[in-house]
Amino acid sequence: MAAPLYTTASGRLWHAGKILIITVGLPARGKTHISRALERYLRWLGVKTQVFSLGDYRRKMLGGAQQLPPDYFTLGEKSPDTEALRKKVRDGCEQQILNFFQVKRGQVAIYDANNGTVESRQQVGEKFEANDVHVIFLESMCDDPDIVDANIRSVKISSPDYKSWDPEKAVADYWRRIKDHEIHYQPVEETNWPYIRIINVGEIIKVNHISGYLQSRIIFFLMNIHNKYRTIYFARSGQSLVEHSYKADSDLSPAGWDYAEKLKNFVLERRKKVMEERKKLGIVVDENKKLVVWTSTRRRAYHTAWPFVELGYRVVEKPQMGEINPGVWDGLSPDLAQEMYPDEWERFLKDPYAHRAPRAESYHDLSGKSCSSNPRHSFSHLMVHFTLVRLEPTLVELEREQDDLLIIGHASVIRCLLAYLIGLPANEVPAVEIARGDLVEVVPASYGVHSQTFQFWRPVEGAAHSHSNFYENYAEDTAGKRKDAQIEIEVLVNDELPEDIDEAYTHIDP
Amino acid sequence: MAEREQNQAKTGEPLDNQPIPPIEIDAASPLPHSSPHTLQEPHLRFVDNRLQAEAKERESMVKPIPTGGRRAEIEITAPQPRPLGSTGGPAYKVDIGSLPHTPFFGAKSHVLKEFDDLNLSSHRGSSAPTPPRAVTGIGGKVDKPDYSQAKIVVAMVGLPARGKSYLSNKLTRYLRWLEYDVKVFNVGQLRRQKARDKAESSGVKEDHNAAFFSYSNEDAVKARESFAEESLEMLIKWLKDGGNVAIHDATNSTQARRAKIEKRVSKEPSLYLIFLESLCDDPAVIASNIALKVRSGDPDYDGMSREVAERDFRKRIEAYEAVYQTVTEPHLSYLKIINVGQQVTVCRIHGYLQSRIAFYLMNQHLKPRSIFFSRHGESQFNVEGKIGGDAPLSIRGAAYAAALPDLITKNIGDAPLTVWTSTLQRTIQTAAQLPYPKLTWKSLDELDAGVCDGMTYEEIEERYPEDFANRDDDKYNYRYRGGESYRDVVVRLEPVIVELERQENILVIGHQAIIRCLYAYFHNLPQDDLPYIKIPLHTVIKLTPKAYGCDEERYALPIQAVDTHRPKPGSKVESPVVIPNTARDYYGEKA
Repeated sequence: MAAPLYTTASGRLWHAGKILIITVGLPARGKTHISRALERYLRWLGVKTQVFSLGDYRRKMLGGAQQLPPDYFTLGEKSPDTEALRKKVRDGCEQQILNFFQVKRGQVAIYDANNGTVESRQQVGEKFEANDVHVIFLESMCDDPDIVDANIRSVKISSPDYKSWDPEKAVADYWRRIKDHEIHYQPVEETNWPYIRIINVGEIIKVNHISGYLQSRIIFFLMNIHNKYRTIYFARSGQSLVEHSYKADSDLSPAGWDYAEKLKNFVLERRKKVMEERKKLGIVVDENKKLVVWTSTRRRAYHTAWPFVELGYRVVEKPQMGEINPGVWDGLSPDLAQEMYPDEWERFLKDPYAHRAPRAESYHDLSGKSCSSNPRHSFSHLMVHFTLVRLEPTLVELEREQDDLLIIGHASVIRCLLAYLIGLPANEVPAVEIARGDLVEVVPASYGVHSQTFQFWRPVEGAAHSHSNFYENYAEDTAGKRKDAQIEIEVLVNDELPEDIDEAYTHIDP
Repeated sequence: MAEREQNQAKTGEPLDNQPIPPIEIDAASPLPHSSPHTLQEPHLRFVDNRLQAEAKERESMVKPIPTGGRRAEIEITAPQPRPLGSTGGPAYKVDIGSLPHTPFFGAKSHVLKEFDDLNLSSHRGSSAPTPPRAVTGIGGKVDKPDYSQAKIVVAMVGLPARGKSYLSNKLTRYLRWLEYDVKVFNVGQLRRQKARDKAESSGVKEDHNAAFFSYSNEDAVKARESFAEESLEMLIKWLKDGGNVAIHDATNSTQARRAKIEKRVSKEPSLYLIFLESLCDDPAVIASNIALKVRSGDPDYDGMSREVAERDFRKRIEAYEAVYQTVTEPHLSYLKIINVGQQVTVCRIHGYLQSRIAFYLMNQHLKPRSIFFSRHGESQFNVEGKIGGDAPLSIRGAAYAAALPDLITKNIGDAPLTVWTSTLQRTIQTAAQLPYPKLTWKSLDELDAGVCDGMTYEEIEERYPEDFANRDDDKYNYRYRGGESYRDVVVRLEPVIVELERQENILVIGHQAIIRCLYAYFHNLPQDDLPYIKIPLHTVIKLTPKAYGCDEERYALPIQAVDTHRPKPGSKVESPVVIPNTARDYYGEKA
C-alpha cells in the first residue's frame, strides 16, 4: 500500500491503539465472511488490518487433514503429543498476530478461529491484553437452522472434503460435525470482556462495553451489512460544459444530455434482461425490486440522472459524493497548472493517490483517513491529522441498501467505491478503470463480488481520448486511464472458498 | 477543428448531432516567470461552431482576468478594516504566498458571466427530451431532501428515573438538527396537563403520589391507561399529518402494554415501530436521576419536602418494578440500552433512519464534561472582509492564539482535553500553543463558498446583486455554486456530532458556519435561525451538557477583532436569542 498521506509516530491511525478481534462461533456461522468484510472495510479506511485464520496457519504448517494425527480434531481426551502439537499451532498463529502488531505496526488483527469456550477466550484475551492490545470478541451465532443450512449448501459442501459426495449426504455429514461442536460450545456471555454478538446474520446485535472511535465504526459497519441479493451499477456523469472546473459546476453539454438518455435506456434494459435470465434459471425474483439512483449535488451528476427523475425513480443527491476538489488548480488546464505549479504537479504525478495540491483534496481525503503532522505547518506538539473520510458514510449506506442502486458519479468517487467493493489496495484506487460510457455492474457475493462492464455510449472518436485532452477534469483523470476506447468485459470473481475449508476442525478446545 | 471536420466527413452525419466540446481554454500563452507580479492571462477561445459567430463577438470583449498572485513576500501597510466596526491594525508584514489564488472560474472573474451568458440553454443541439433549465449565477436555493417516507414511532420502555426522557430529548435534538420533524408525546405531561386543567376549572387538585401509580389502584390504572392511549392516538394522527419521528414517552413496562401499542400501530400501514428500552442497574445513576427529579420542580411533588418527595418517588418506582418486564419479545424491533451504552442490544432494526437512531443512541454517555467552541483568531481575510480562503492569522489573531492557552487551562484545570481543528491554517495556528493533544478534521473546514471564495460581501453584492439578496431569503438552503449550503455542512458534520457525543472534554477551534451548525445542535435551534447565530471572534463558548439541555458560558478575550456577523437584512433582531434552558419540561410547553 502506498504510504498514506500522513502517519502518526506510532504508524497507526487515530491513536486508536492496537485492536484484536477474536471471532467466536460454531462452524458455518459466517465467521469468515464477517472477518473478510470487516478487513476490507478497515483497509479501505486506511487501517492496517489483517485476518489471521488458524485453519490456514495449521494447513501451512502441518499440511492437510490427512497429515494430522487421528485425534487432532476429535473431542475429549487427546494424546499428549497431539495436545502439544495443537498448542504449537495455536502459539505459532498467535505469535504471528503479535508480530503483526509489534513488528509490522499493524492496527487491527482479526483472529478467525472457533474460540468456542470461555476458558480458551479468557486465555487468548489475557495474553494479548498483557501485550497492550485491546481485545474484542466477535461472535456470530445462529439459531435458525435454515440460515445454517443455506450457508452449508452455498459454501461448505464445495470443499475438497466432500469431493464426489452426494450433496444431500454431504450436508447431513456437515450437520453431524456441527452437532459435535455444539456440545462444547459456550456463547459469549462474559460481560467483563468487550464483545459484539451478531445473531442470525444481523437480526439481533448485542454489544457490551465497546468504546473508542474505531470500535464504534466497526459496530456501525456490522449493523449495516447484509447478504441479500442486489445489484449496484456505476456510471460516470455526462460531459459537462466545462469539465476541468469544480467551481463552475457547469451544466451538461448537449452530448451530456444525450448521454443521460442513453444511460437511462441501457440500465432499464439491462435490469429487465437480468431479471428474465434469472427467472429462466428458476430463481425467484422480486419483480418489484426498486432501483434507487444516487448522485452527487454537482449539477453534471444530478442532471445525468434527470431522465430517471422524470420517470419517477427516487434520485438521491449526496453531498459527500462530489468529485475531488482540485484546489488552486481549479479551472486551469493541465498545462497551465503544470506551468504555474511545477513542483506540485511533479508530486501529483508521482503519487496521485496521496498527493494534495494546496486547498485540494486527494483520494485519501475521499476514502482514507490519516493523521500526522502536516509538514506545511509547524507545531510544538504532535499534531494528528484527522481527516474524516468523506465517503465513509456513503459507503455504509451502500452496504445497507437492499434495493438495486445506480450510482452516477465522478470518476474519483466511483474509483473509491469500486476499489472498496472489489477489495483493491489503496494505491490502486486511482487506476480503477471507469471510462465515460461504461456501466459497471457489481453483484456482491459471499466472498467477493461479480463485476461486469458494459459500454453504452461512445465518445466522439479522437476527442475524448486524445493526448491533449482538456475536457477531462484532470483531478479525475489520473494514472491508469486507458488510452483507447476499446471495451473489454471483465469479470472479477473472487467467490471461491478461502483456505479454511476444514475450519470446523481447526479448534476444539480441550 | 480539423478533427471535428474529419469526423463529419467520415460519418457523414450533420455536425449538429455531434457532441461538441464547448469551450477550449487556450493555455498557449505562457506565464512569464521572470516577473511574478505581472501576470499575462490565459484567455477564452470559443470553438463551438453554432456559437462561433456569437463567440467571436464576445471574444473581443473578454478582458484579461486576474488568476491570482504568485507566491511572494510583500509588505502590506495598514490594511483597510471592513466598515463593520473595529479599528485598523498597525502596519505589518504578511506572507501572501499562502493566500489562495483567485480561481479562474471564480465569481470575481469575468469568465463565469461570459460563460453563463453563452450557455443559457446547454441543451441546444441535443436530441434528449427537455431537461431543466441551466442554472447560472453564483448559487441558488436547494430543496430539502424528501423525508416524507420516514414515519417512525419510537416507544420508550423503562422504569421511572432510568433516563427515558433524557434519551428522548437527545434523540429529538439530533433528528431535528438533521431536519426531521420530531415530536415527543409524553404521557406524564398529558397527565399533568389534564390534572392542571381540572384543578383550574373545578378547583379539585388530584394527588398524583405513589398510590396513584400502584397497580392495585384500579381507577388510577384505568386513568393512566387512558392517558397512554390518548397520547398514542395523538401521536399517530401527528405522524399521518406529516411528522417523521414520534416518540411515545411512557414507561410501557409490560408485554401486554407493548402488545397493545404494536396492535394499534400495525393498523397504520406506513408506520414503523421501534421500542427503545433504557435499563439501568447502576445505583449511582438511579440516585442522581431521582435527585434531579425531586429538585427540578416536578409539579407532582409541589409543596412536598425533598425527603418526602424522594420517598414517594421511590415508592412509585417500586410500584412499576413489581410488574416490569424487560423487552424480550423476539418479533419486536427494539433497542435496549443498559447503563447508558455500557451494553446495547439491537434487534430487528432495519431501514436507514432506524439504524442511524440506533447508532446515535449507542454513542451516548453521562460523564460530566464540557465542550468548548472557539472560532480561529482573526485572520488576514477577516481583516480584508473576504470570505473563505486559507489565510493566516492577523496580528490580533495571533495575539488571541497566544492568550488562549491561559484561558483554557485556568478553566479546565487538570482535566484532560482534546483540541479539534480544521485543516485550514487559521485554526491550526490558533491551536498551536495549546498544551493538549490535537486532531485535525477535514470535516471541520469552513463552508465552501464555491465561486465566491476569496471575495468580500461587497464584491459579491456588486457583481451579483440578485443572487446576493436571494441568499438572505433562505440562507440555510442556499448553495454557493461550486460550493456548499448550510445543509451540506450539517451533513458533513453529522459524524463529528456522533464523535462529540462519545468524547469527554473537547475544544473545537472552527469557523463561523461550522460553529453555528454545532452550536445549533446543542441548543436545539431551528434551521431558519442557524445561519444568523452570533459567534464572535476571540470568544470561547463553553457548553456543559445537562440532562435536559446545555448550560452556557462565554469568555470574550479583550483582543479586538473585526465583526464578521451579518444580521439578516430587514430583521429586527441582530441574531437569534438563545436562552440556555436545562429545566425539564413538565407540561410539554417548550417547542
